[in-house]
Amino acid sequence: MSATQIAGRIAGVDAGAPIRQSSLWQDAWRRYLRNRGAVAAAAVFLLMVVWCVVTPIVSPHDPNEVDFASAYEGPSWSHPFGTDQFGRDLFTRAALGGRISIGIGFAATFAILGIGVVYGAISGFVGGALDNALMRFLDALYGLPYLPFAILALAIIGTVDFWTMVVALSIASWFITARVVRGQIITLKENDYVRAAKAVGVRWYGVLGRHLLPNTLGVLVITIFLELPGVILGEAFLSFLGLGISPPDASWGSMAQDGRDSYRAHPHIIVIPSLCIAALVLCANFIADGLRDALDPRTKET
Amino acid sequence: MAAYIIRRLIWTVPVVLLVILMTFGLMKQIEGNPFRQTERAVPAAVQANLERKYGNYVKGVATGDLGPSLVLRDRTVNDIVKEQFPNSIELGLLAFGWAVLLGVPAGVLAALKPNSRFDYGAMLFSNIGFALPNFLVATLLIYFVSVKWGLLPTSGWTTWQHKILPSFTLGLVPMAYFARLVRGTMLETLQQDYVRTARAKGLRRRRIVTVHVLRNSLIPVVTAAAPLLGYIITGSFIVENIFAVPGIGRYYVTAVSARDYSVVMGLTVLLSIIVIFANLVVDILYTVLDPRTREART
Repeated sequence: MSATQIAGRIAGVDAGAPIRQSSLWQDAWRRYLRNRGAVAAAAVFLLMVVWCVVTPIVSPHDPNEVDFASAYEGPSWSHPFGTDQFGRDLFTRAALGGRISIGIGFAATFAILGIGVVYGAISGFVGGALDNALMRFLDALYGLPYLPFAILALAIIGTVDFWTMVVALSIASWFITARVVRGQIITLKENDYVRAAKAVGVRWYGVLGRHLLPNTLGVLVITIFLELPGVILGEAFLSFLGLGISPPDASWGSMAQDGRDSYRAHPHIIVIPSLCIAALVLCANFIADGLRDALDPRTKET
Repeated sequence: MAAYIIRRLIWTVPVVLLVILMTFGLMKQIEGNPFRQTERAVPAAVQANLERKYGNYVKGVATGDLGPSLVLRDRTVNDIVKEQFPNSIELGLLAFGWAVLLGVPAGVLAALKPNSRFDYGAMLFSNIGFALPNFLVATLLIYFVSVKWGLLPTSGWTTWQHKILPSFTLGLVPMAYFARLVRGTMLETLQQDYVRTARAKGLRRRRIVTVHVLRNSLIPVVTAAAPLLGYIITGSFIVENIFAVPGIGRYYVTAVSARDYSVVMGLTVLLSIIVIFANLVVDILYTVLDPRTREART
């Protein structure tokens, strides 16, 4: 009997058996799947995205075709969500609006992540007086409302389209992400493998690009779903105030605005796009919670 | 601690200047002015205002002068703020009141009986409160409470009845936020050693909860006030618009459409300065309330 086998006997395990390999991401995936609420939320989220992509392609109704004879219809078999004041099919239009709302949502979220990662990584990696200055700046700006700045940005650019909306929504929303990334970098910097890398002469961009940034990926994935709800609601608010994307294009927010004047007689026109927003935001929040529990078990709520 | 507070105070100055500079720089980029549409001659005083220099503007802001309105004759931005801002503050405070009144107790009760039916109900409500766009909440409240049941007026800002629906709508997100936050911190505090000690020495549960747990769990409520201020300002743009509340959230949108850029700039600077100072106060309060952070932050 060899020494390892004896050790295995004593410990009550078969030391000869290969250790089960599982990466951080596999572990996280398994933990995520155990969270039924988060899985259901992810399924509904995916379903909504697929619905938005597919419906306008297969729908028998032209989303922009005006037909006053069938205006203000309630939900029926041919129009599951009813029709709006121009007789346009709301089922098709809601899917089309979802494409824009979700598209702007993800684009702006990635813009926020981009700015946040650059700012946070510089602050955390360089450290010292620069870090101090950048962070005091963030301390003061924390909680600055994004809406006035988004409105200002839209006023400056003049025309409102997909990308101006993305700029407007990300311009004053990246403070929290930057702080989170900086916190991660600071913690990771103290790890032995980072010191070892520095000791063997890895250049700063190697340390940053190979050892630090990849390890912030988990936090960034969570951040996507933490930021997405705010951005989607922000787009809806701007559109609802009449500052959104111009017709005939529509987002869920501008569709809700369409129904604003006729809510007493035809509440479905405002309620349906609003509920689409609510469903998506609810799912994103649950996904973010699930991801946080899965990727960072220490912070799991009791 | 004094050193931390002083350093924090000093840092506020460059940040305020930078925010004004950013807003000022942004405003300069805007094409056109309100006079281009009407082809009226630009009054000399207004032309001078359009060409104001950053230094002069900062001097104006420091002395509390935000300049004249470009659209409304004989009105300054200060007049508009004086007229509209109290309404917005009242709306915000009432919304905050709803949140503290309903959100905090919901969080406390949920934490005292975790995984109970009440807990699940409160957390479901909190999740939905976060997800519903406030224009839907406002519309549904008007539709049912005002139109169908005729209990409260649909819009306006005169009697106390007018103030219930707007403040409740605006308070919904902070309410959901407080319920969640208080529940989380309460659960955490209940597991602390000093709570176990209190229990071990035979204190009654009620006393443990009120003296030891609640006091320590409410610290995050104070610190949450600053980010919530951002929520409330953003929300007020929509809520004031729907309920026709004469506040600066609604006026901001009007001013943008009317291209009254000195008003837009003045209000942006004002709101930013308020948020920056709220952050300052909260940071200082935090160090005073929680002795543990004093060491770390000095």
